[in-house]
Amino acid sequence: MPSNTASSSSAPAGSSKSKRPKYSKFTQQELPACKPILTPGWVILTFLVISVIFIPLGVVSLFASQDVVEIVDRYDNDCVPTPARANKVAYIQGGSDKSCNRTLVVPKKMKQPIYVYYQLENFYQNHRRYVKSRSDSQLRSVKDENQIDACKPEDDVNGRPIVPCGLIAWSLFNDTYALSKNNQPLTVNKRGIAWKSDREHKFGKNVFPKNFQEGNITGGGRLDANKSLSEQEDLIVWMRTAALPTFRKLYGKIESDLEKGDTIHVTLLNNYNTYSFDGKKKLVLSTTSWLGGKNDFLGIAYLTVGGICFFLALVFTIMYLVKPRRLGDPTYLSWNRVPGGGR
Amino acid sequence: MLEICYFFYKNITFGVTVFLYEAYASFSAQPAYNDWFLSLFNVFFSSLPVIALGVFDQDVSARFCYKFPLLYQEGVQNILFSWKRIIGWMFNGFISALAIFFICKESLKHQLFDPNGKTAGREIMGGLMYTCVVWVVNLQMALSISYFTWVQHIVIWGSIAFWYIFLMIYGAITPSFSTDAYMVFLEALAPAPSYWLTTLFVMIFALTPYFVYKSVQMRFFPKYHQMIQWIRYEGHSNDPEFVEMVRQRSIRPTTVGYTARRAASVRRSGRFHDQLHKDLVAF
Repeated sequence: MPSNTASSSSAPAGSSKSKRPKYSKFTQQELPACKPILTPGWVILTFLVISVIFIPLGVVSLFASQDVVEIVDRYDNDCVPTPARANKVAYIQGGSDKSCNRTLVVPKKMKQPIYVYYQLENFYQNHRRYVKSRSDSQLRSVKDENQIDACKPEDDVNGRPIVPCGLIAWSLFNDTYALSKNNQPLTVNKRGIAWKSDREHKFGKNVFPKNFQEGNITGGGRLDANKSLSEQEDLIVWMRTAALPTFRKLYGKIESDLEKGDTIHVTLLNNYNTYSFDGKKKLVLSTTSWLGGKNDFLGIAYLTVGGICFFLALVFTIMYLVKPRRLGDPTYLSWNRVPGGGR
Repeated sequence: MLEICYFFYKNITFGVTVFLYEAYASFSAQPAYNDWFLSLFNVFFSSLPVIALGVFDQDVSARFCYKFPLLYQEGVQNILFSWKRIIGWMFNGFISALAIFFICKESLKHQLFDPNGKTAGREIMGGLMYTCVVWVVNLQMALSISYFTWVQHIVIWGSIAFWYIFLMIYGAITPSFSTDAYMVFLEALAPAPSYWLTTLFVMIFALTPYFVYKSVQMRFFPKYHQMIQWIRYEGHSNDPEFVEMVRQRSIRPTTVGYTARRAASVRRSGRFHDQLHKDLVAF
């Protein structure tokens, strides 16, 4: 039902002009309009178009994902020596040598660049208190060094402000990985792993770490006090908090190819304590495609929905052919129809 | 009526995505979206279409209201604002939000979404989900209305376009203000094909159930105003004898207010009970 919006003009009092509002198509709701209704033709056409677009997209996405080669290696349990496994937390907090050797086999040829990630599970980087515990202004410039209010409890040490302050920086991941192939070390390029906008605009070139990890409890890695924050790419990557409790972060890139069957030896330092909260640590080597990493989801989803839409197009075609009716027929009004029909 | 139902729908869609994200942030009240995104949802990205809907929408033009006065009974009998419809719209919002959240979450699994190997953080997932919500909510509006003037086109497609423009502008403001949304669109989201692919998929997937429902309803169970739309579409409205026939068949005693709504619902359920009674007797 239309609603009337009258314009608010009125003739001056005392004149003989009429008070009728000025007519305009806009105010009288008579604008030229397109009044589409869902006719059978449109419904079937829409479903067919969707399936024609989606099925090829699904195939292409699935191929892209299948092309990605990924090696995932969980090491947090295996890298604790057997006698210490009864109390992993004590082991990780103790001072013993934490180096551990892992072997990875390359299942398929991997073309460079090959990205090295560490994957953590059950780690809620998206917890509100954690996310808030940082000082963006302090990260950007030296003069804001003392803006540490949001960073409690990791804000200062004996009155001296911690740079970078906050729980996020304090819990910096500090496992390291040294990779080698056939006894030749594989260089892992750790430059350029952070987003450019972070490096250039959020982390200052003149801000250096101070008083970092000097408190009673060490939360994670230490920082080189001679490197400015904008060069500390591991820190920058870590401080981009993850969305979900299972996440990967970029550690570095390998810029040479790996052949199928190659054995990669990893000497890692198992420093980071995920045992206190039943977290998991995994090392991941992955190539990428135009779609990203190995994730069949989009491809399968597109194919499924494309298929369903095609099926629906067929179903609707059959329905419309089997039950044709004159759609404007008033015998189909609810009160004229047999009982039990809709309204 | 549609405006109110739609308002419930869009807020539920938006709010349930925030709630679902909370489940994955251990319910610590960390929102999925940047705070300004949260505040401006109801202001910029979905308000104008609703206003345009309320002011300008016509399911049937004024001329037809004169020809088919029984249209008034739709309001009197509370057909368009029944509990069933309200709950139906809210349910639609709920399942749209489920679809948006879980698809975005799955497509960003392990956060490898970018051909340059960089991982997706909270701001990227938030940007992706919000984009999907804006598209779904506005496309839902486009699917629900049956009257498109230039006003509707501008507000619906304009709201969607404005979201992208806003992302770019807000992202260009210094990070001391824009915090985690700094450059998120231009640097991270726009260059990643998986962002665009996921958005396209979500908008179609979230709206397909409603589309199927509406196609079936329009064809097999049309409401009175939809019947009038069919009559107009088939050209019978210009035939005065046909129009007169429809009017004659619609004559019946009517009341207003509570009595009318009560009588209508009794008629609806009474018919069901009559049929049930007949079935039982036959058995």
